[in-house]
Amino acid sequence: MRGILLLTQAEINRLRRNRRYLIFTIGMPVVLFLIFSKAGKTVYGIDFAAYYMIAMATFGAFAGALNGNAIRISEERKVGWIRQLRLTPLPASAYVITKILTSMATTIPSIVIVMLLGRFEGGVHLPIWQWIVIAVVIWLGSTIFAALAVAVGYRYPPDQAQPITLMLYLVFSILGGIWFPFTGLMGNISKGTPTFEAITIATDVIANKSVPAYLAIGLVVWLGIFAALATLSVRSMAETV
Amino acid sequence: MSHTRTGPVVSFDNVSKHYGSLKAVERLSLELRGGETVALLGPNGAGKSTSLDMLLALRKPTSGKIRMFGNDPYHAVKSGRVGAMLQSGGLMPEVTVRELVTLVAGLHPKPIPVDKTLRAAGIDSVADQRVDRLSGGQTQRVRFALAIAGECDLIVLDEPTTAMDVETRQRFWASMKEEVAEGKTLLFATHYLEEADQAADRILVINRGRLLADGTPEEIKKRAGAKRMSFRLPHVPEQALLGLPGLVSLETRHDLVHIQTSDSDATLYALLDAGHRPSEIEVGSLGLEQAFLAITAEDDRANGAEPVPAR
Repeated sequence: MRGILLLTQAEINRLRRNRRYLIFTIGMPVVLFLIFSKAGKTVYGIDFAAYYMIAMATFGAFAGALNGNAIRISEERKVGWIRQLRLTPLPASAYVITKILTSMATTIPSIVIVMLLGRFEGGVHLPIWQWIVIAVVIWLGSTIFAALAVAVGYRYPPDQAQPITLMLYLVFSILGGIWFPFTGLMGNISKGTPTFEAITIATDVIANKSVPAYLAIGLVVWLGIFAALATLSVRSMAETV
Repeated sequence: MSHTRTGPVVSFDNVSKHYGSLKAVERLSLELRGGETVALLGPNGAGKSTSLDMLLALRKPTSGKIRMFGNDPYHAVKSGRVGAMLQSGGLMPEVTVRELVTLVAGLHPKPIPVDKTLRAAGIDSVADQRVDRLSGGQTQRVRFALAIAGECDLIVLDEPTTAMDVETRQRFWASMKEEVAEGKTLLFATHYLEEADQAADRILVINRGRLLADGTPEEIKKRAGAKRMSFRLPHVPEQALLGLPGLVSLETRHDLVHIQTSDSDATLYALLDAGHRPSEIEVGSLGLEQAFLAITAEDDRANGAEPVPAR
């Protein structure tokens, strides 16, 4: 356990120096929020600024968990760092656990910063428990994408991991309604995505609606699928890392 | 730190590793005892890296059993009693040398002070540089530092000096000798024959996945017909020479005869006893390199394969 914490700490230090990662997880959501948060009045029965705050917090957290991690894992496999770690007393599973812990630690600032922006720049006023619930939903939801990042990063070399990650990221952010809400057939497809489910849980909480159980179940199912894919990737690549 | 009473440090018992029809390692059996410095010598593709990978629990044998400190490889590695450096091992990018060595030392049950490790590996001068901005030789030494960042009883090195220049290589072996002097067991793979000759007190020759020879450098040279002899002797049928004692190989061109022999004295006496009077007799030692080539070439011939060129 001590080893996992040491490695997590080292990983967080690395990410703090990584500009690309900071731009994706914090820079872009902040800039987009500043530009677009006043672009509408209401959506999903809540104030548009509140919706957009949730969308951007989700975007930053999910993009950080997926984009950064998948490519980094793939690169670290390629340079042989994962192999090197396996020669240390650190348990074999520690690397993946560390990546998910690091991802969870580094999505916190992106969620908090976008929410502070929503409160003080976007004029979003919520009871304290709602702030906490939406932050926790988005935060836990981002682990789904951390698991997907492990699945992709472990299986594909960097030159393939990059476009695959980008494609997954676009599919889940567009279909999930982060950029604009869908209606009709696309709306139904959208409902199946983890991004939509996380955002809708948050917006329902803000709108004081009861949260449909299928949204929470959906998130758990996605986490199960991606965690299984990640396990498969790690197992099948065990002799080639 | 002697393991003589507690059994072998490392044992391979009939270990094979097959990839489809490719037999990377075939029925390999060996034992390392505490305090030994052992070279695993073989041409590229001989199965050295695969063997070390299996020893370090990175790959699983297709069949057979490997034990380290009486334990299975995974748990032996996780106990921290093994320090290893592989060709394919990489470094965590974006951190400094000191940060990385500190991290890996921290993962050990018995870490060694980071400054001591940096000095031992000869990287104290680049301690604050980022690991992704080092030269090949420096990177190799950082890998070595990671291997010795914790107290360990066995050091495993796969072609440790590949990216090093001559001077660095000498410094490397000097620091390695200090580790061995502390009673550690050292196993290293190499295709540099002089390295095996100079550094190891035991050499395991492997070719195409099988153990061909196991002995001291002197024994290996001897086994391959470690003396070469040449002389001029006109009008002697090859048949007469082929019966000479100790003869390993024979080559004649006109009256010039080249012989490899495991016992040059016996060969020469027999030749003289038979009444021949050769002229211009020269006897010299066969280097380990030729010995090694002789052993592997013989093995390749016996298996009807093209010889694998040794680098």
